[in-house]
Amino acid sequence: MSDFPGVLRDGRERLRARIEPRRRPLLVAAAAVTAVAALLPWSVPGVGYTNPLPGDLGSVGLGGHRLYVFVLALVCLVGLTNVAGRRRMATACALGALVISVIALYSLIKQGGGTGAAGVGAWVGTVGSLVLLAVTDTLPTGPPNRLPRLAAPAAVGAIVVVVGVLLAAVVIGLGIDDETQFLCFAIFVGALIAAAGALGVFAAFREAFDQYRAVGYAVALAAAVAFPFTQGTNATWDAVFARVGVFAAAAIGLNVVVGLAGLLDLGYIAFFGIGGYVSALLSDAVFTTVHVHVPFLVVFPLGAMVAGLIGVAFGAPTLRLRGDYLAIVTLGFGEIFRIVVQNWTGLTQGPNGISGIPDLRLPGFLGGMQFGKPHTVFGVSMPFQANYVFLDIVLVIFVMLVFARLNDSRIGRAWVAIREDELAARAMGINTIALKLLAFGIGATLAGAAGTINAHIGESVTPDDYQFIASALLLSAVVLGGMGTVPGAVLGAALLIGLPEKLRFVQDYRLFLFGLALVLLMRFRPEGLIVSRRRQREFHEGGSGADAMSQPAQVAPV
Amino acid sequence: MTQFLQQLTNGVVLGATYGLIALGYTMVYGIIQLINFAHGDIFMLGAFGGLALYNVLPHGMQDQVLIALPLCTLAGIALSVAVAVVMERVAYRPLRNAPRLAPLITAIGVSAMIEEGTRLWYPGAKAPLTFPPLLPSGGFTVGGVRISYASLVVVIVAVVLMIALQAFVLRSRTGRAMRATAQDPDTAKLMGINTDRVIVITFILGAALAAVAGVLNGARLGTVQFNDGFVAGLKAFTAAVLGGIGNITGCVAGGFILGIVEVMAVQYLPNGSGYKDLWAFVVLILVLVFRPTGLFGEEVTVRA
Repeated sequence: MSDFPGVLRDGRERLRARIEPRRRPLLVAAAAVTAVAALLPWSVPGVGYTNPLPGDLGSVGLGGHRLYVFVLALVCLVGLTNVAGRRRMATACALGALVISVIALYSLIKQGGGTGAAGVGAWVGTVGSLVLLAVTDTLPTGPPNRLPRLAAPAAVGAIVVVVGVLLAAVVIGLGIDDETQFLCFAIFVGALIAAAGALGVFAAFREAFDQYRAVGYAVALAAAVAFPFTQGTNATWDAVFARVGVFAAAAIGLNVVVGLAGLLDLGYIAFFGIGGYVSALLSDAVFTTVHVHVPFLVVFPLGAMVAGLIGVAFGAPTLRLRGDYLAIVTLGFGEIFRIVVQNWTGLTQGPNGISGIPDLRLPGFLGGMQFGKPHTVFGVSMPFQANYVFLDIVLVIFVMLVFARLNDSRIGRAWVAIREDELAARAMGINTIALKLLAFGIGATLAGAAGTINAHIGESVTPDDYQFIASALLLSAVVLGGMGTVPGAVLGAALLIGLPEKLRFVQDYRLFLFGLALVLLMRFRPEGLIVSRRRQREFHEGGSGADAMSQPAQVAPV
Repeated sequence: MTQFLQQLTNGVVLGATYGLIALGYTMVYGIIQLINFAHGDIFMLGAFGGLALYNVLPHGMQDQVLIALPLCTLAGIALSVAVAVVMERVAYRPLRNAPRLAPLITAIGVSAMIEEGTRLWYPGAKAPLTFPPLLPSGGFTVGGVRISYASLVVVIVAVVLMIALQAFVLRSRTGRAMRATAQDPDTAKLMGINTDRVIVITFILGAALAAVAGVLNGARLGTVQFNDGFVAGLKAFTAAVLGGIGNITGCVAGGFILGIVEVMAVQYLPNGSGYKDLWAFVVLILVLVFRPTGLFGEEVTVRA
């Protein structure tokens, strides 16, 4: 069994040696064949066969997913040029084309009624993209491309274009109703993003962003605000994004604890739950035990404060523990919270939870804001869920500011010092216990704040919402996006909450795939999708560069 | 008084299970300082492996306790050990030199995969499954305390296995290699010990013990579910910490103490059964805060 990877490697080497001398003609041929195959008919409806895929696949053209295969095949021709990073570009696109072809072929055969349902294009396209992948695998490896430094107007333009294209991709993707088609589109976009990354687009974007921070944030904000406008009266995605928003805020809070201070908190969802229960109990919900209504402007800081205080009270005795012990203790705390909530029926109504939480009202703000009512802004009427999206944007900005100010401060640097080597940090005069407690408390406070809003969005709170798996989900949002970065936490939350909503057929496999993703991520890209600059620098310095993650010091528990 | 003694025996039976699972935690932690989060799920898999074999046994053999119990236990061990070996090889070994949090996050992922994999692909596992009564029925009464044969078997098997493990670690050549690896992997390697092999053996031993616990527990309770491992694993970890992690005898004692504490809390505290799973965590936090080296201190056999 242990030899199996070795056999695979040998086979790949032999294949490479065979292809290498004929790379250029083979690449042109394979790309041409794949592109032409994309144009040919992919389905043969009739005589017992159907076309289960959307779009016109029966005639010559580029309907349905065929456009993606066509474009990806042509991008592979970059392998003929001398652009640095061409290998990554070409392999990403070839792999994308292959996966899309296989998905289409599989769906046609499985749901179309047999192998006869797949047309000539499907077979040729699959084989062609497989060959294409084998050929691009022979391209020499090298560093990614570096785009020239952009001048002022071009840099601002680049920011607008990149953000705009990403927003457009999200909006187009959400507009696709068919799941297979959406999956193909997502793979297409993913391949193009990988290709753009290899071309140096994102490095240039980052540079431009650094140079014109204000512009960059304004554009990002505009894109976020624009989202509900693109959805019109359709509430589905506004509702999902309202949830993504609160989870993103909580994930940023967790990022303070895990990403900056290096404390693995596996019971973080409890603080989110504390905020949620405070908010639910004081909202005069329909099914509740406490019939009082406290204005949300009071509840919001109150929920945050209660969560923060409980976090400090719990953290004070436990934060002396070593990293992995702390993880288990926090996990225990999360379970204690859930069990208590489940059994304190006099206050929380046990497993039934508190439901019928009314929509938010903020009287006195802009003439009395009613979150439960649809609104019309600039002639676009939006469902009430859009109100929560806007509220989330404010919340995320607030949390981001907290994170950024802390990260750039003396405190942030002290946290990183603790994360890297607690003993050394202490020797440098850092009060490690107090700072760890501060990180833990701030994380808990932010989670509590997000939780108060989440209760109103979800309209109910039950103990089952706060199981361990929710903590693990938040943690993986942070890890997936990239520890210690704000955009990473937002991206991770969007991917982990948003994608399963779109891909309903993976719902049942969601947790399995999520476990698999954690394992693969730790193995192949422990730094996450968006790498924090600090960590990137650590990487390039060499030395113990493999330490993409925190390394709690070997301090014996006192 | 009778009630108290009755609960005490129940606690001992429960504690025997915790102790068996905890041994896997303690040995793996002792050798590679990894909290193998998925170990509770290995315990759960043991029960499912036993159940799977039971379902294909001919009817004549199903009723024969002396045949069915060992066979099902072996099947459980086979499944648990196979999964544990693959898990070590594919998920943990590549991260041997990574920062400490990386394998811990991997372990959470592995745990989710095992639980969900069982739920998705074991026939009918989306709901709790009935586990066959593999243990002898009946029992006897001593001074008003009822002791079932099933409980007796569980405790005896557990104690025998624990003693055997202790003897193995202390007396055998491989056991010595394990202790050497735990003390200093680099030096152990220089002394010609194949540390990779030793680590795999540690995982195998832990998984086998957990599988035995899984089959016995399933047979005693009559039901198994895909997420049984999560809470059981955490409690076993608590037992390991209670006894001082890395310490085999302490770990067994920790299991018994925890089992007794839990049973007594359910019996004598208000709304005890609702808070049943709470006590393990409370004990865990208290021990870690006030005595992180465990109740039995630094007197350790396998440790880093």
